[in-house]
Amino acid sequence: MSAIIVKNLSKSFEVSRKAKMQTKSNEENLGKEFFAVDDISFEVKKGEIFGFLGPNGAGKTTTIRLMTGVLNPTNGNITILGKDSRTDALQVKQLIGNVPEEASVYVDLSGWHNLLLIGELYGLSKEERKKKAEYLLKQFELFEKKNFKAKTYSKGMKQRLLLSMALMSNPEILFLDEPTSGLDVKSAKIIKEIILEYNKKGTTIFLTTHDMDIANELCHRIAIINKGKIISLDTPENFKVLVQEYQAIDLTVENGLLKNEIEKLNYIKEVQEVNGGYHIIVDDMHNSICEIVDYVIKNNLKIKKLITYQPKLEEAFLKIIERGGSK
Amino acid sequence: MNKSIDHKMSKFRSIGTQIRRSFIITKKDLRIYYNKPPVLIQGILFPFILFIALSIGRNIQSVYLISGMMAMILFLTSTSLGPIVFPWEAMRKTLERLITCPISIKTILLGSMWSSLIYGVVFSSIPLILGAIYSVIPLNINLLLVVGGMIVAGLAFSCFSLILSVPSSSTPGSTMILTILIKFPLVFMTPLFMPIVLTPIAYLSPLTYFIDIINVSFGDLSVFGMFGLMIDFGVLILFGVGFLFLSFFLHEKTLEKRFQG
Repeated sequence: MSAIIVKNLSKSFEVSRKAKMQTKSNEENLGKEFFAVDDISFEVKKGEIFGFLGPNGAGKTTTIRLMTGVLNPTNGNITILGKDSRTDALQVKQLIGNVPEEASVYVDLSGWHNLLLIGELYGLSKEERKKKAEYLLKQFELFEKKNFKAKTYSKGMKQRLLLSMALMSNPEILFLDEPTSGLDVKSAKIIKEIILEYNKKGTTIFLTTHDMDIANELCHRIAIINKGKIISLDTPENFKVLVQEYQAIDLTVENGLLKNEIEKLNYIKEVQEVNGGYHIIVDDMHNSICEIVDYVIKNNLKIKKLITYQPKLEEAFLKIIERGGSK
Repeated sequence: MNKSIDHKMSKFRSIGTQIRRSFIITKKDLRIYYNKPPVLIQGILFPFILFIALSIGRNIQSVYLISGMMAMILFLTSTSLGPIVFPWEAMRKTLERLITCPISIKTILLGSMWSSLIYGVVFSSIPLILGAIYSVIPLNINLLLVVGGMIVAGLAFSCFSLILSVPSSSTPGSTMILTILIKFPLVFMTPLFMPIVLTPIAYLSPLTYFIDIINVSFGDLSVFGMFGLMIDFGVLILFGVGFLFLSFFLHEKTLEKRFQG
């Protein structure tokens, strides 16, 4: 069963003076309608971690705001766990947790009271609230500071508190908008681990990010959005297949090795001379390494440095954005 | 048939849940906003300054002094918190988190309304208590009428304050300027610290009806005649309900603008 079904979803805004300045749009566009999300459709399976990738202003946050009921769609519909996000808005909100990108906690309340407030708003009993708040504060390593006002927390601690607030109601779906953006290593690590932990327990996760490592590490499937349209949707591994040409080896050999000798080897596509060594673009990583090592041994040479480069999601992403979509 | 009853029952349950959750918002608002500078300035400092400006050098009967002060404090205090909640939450970026909780925008507004009411009633009781301590208020005061008047008028003023927070600004300062521009003329067009004179402008001010209730509770006759109290309460309820539903409508229309790039 699908956790989220999005069909022909669009959201248009009027170009305001502020938006005009942000998007560097022309003066004549002022007051005109522009589509921040333009007729997108996709499904998220139950128990999946679904990533939404795109450059700034691509429509990621607008999509998440449409799904969490902050904005109303101009066209199309969203079904969350079988319920329409517009007509059953309150029931849908009861089932989801949300960490908005620019959101903050109540800095005038303590971490403890922030959690109790959210627990109360989700209808948890007093006992449940206290038990869950204590558990989450411990899990997010905030328990020692539970009675401190959130204004004394660091950015990473506030983000951890926000995520724990989203988890107070044991949501079936968790929406995370740039969950680790600008965080310290410790906070980012805790958040990543907890996302994976909750997903293992069955929570469906929908996250937006422009951090390729996060998308690569966490997501089962990724949709790439640009200018309000989904231009590609696939698994991280399949995306990487698109950029196999980015497989390369950096090689430095002590006794010297001629460029044309390397070029003669099998599976070698291109050889570039770099800082006394070679940057070799290869067709097949395993076989090309075997060829090189074999050649080196046969010719009694000595390898000083051998570094391999695997294709990265980032390169796939850039390539897809450049050409406006994958196959 | 059964399905229709079930549907109605679940709707009632849902309304009940939302009203209960509005009290959670109230608790949060009172906890967070009671000591914010705009609230303290408009809710405490302004009534004090206006009281001095409007009363010094005038020979005011003690009863009108108390009713005038109560009306002014109730109005200014119960309209001081409502207008800043939305801009403040938008400025501090807590609004988006709040509206993705299982509560409607109406629930958030109702919560703000209750907190404004509590804030207004607590502070407007101060002149009444001081009047009682210094034996300024008459012994035959109708306390039930005073409390009823304070609650109904407080609700009307609180609902009015919700409209003042409609502009989709995320800077409480600009909202405060707008509220001053609207609230102060209303205070000045009300006959404060004197017997009510029914000018056409005084009819438009909800404060007039509250002062009349307090004056009656102190033993005066209503300026609206025999059915005075019914008119007072009726008009205040009408004001309150009108402002509340107008605020629901306007906030639902403008909410999206707060999240537009």
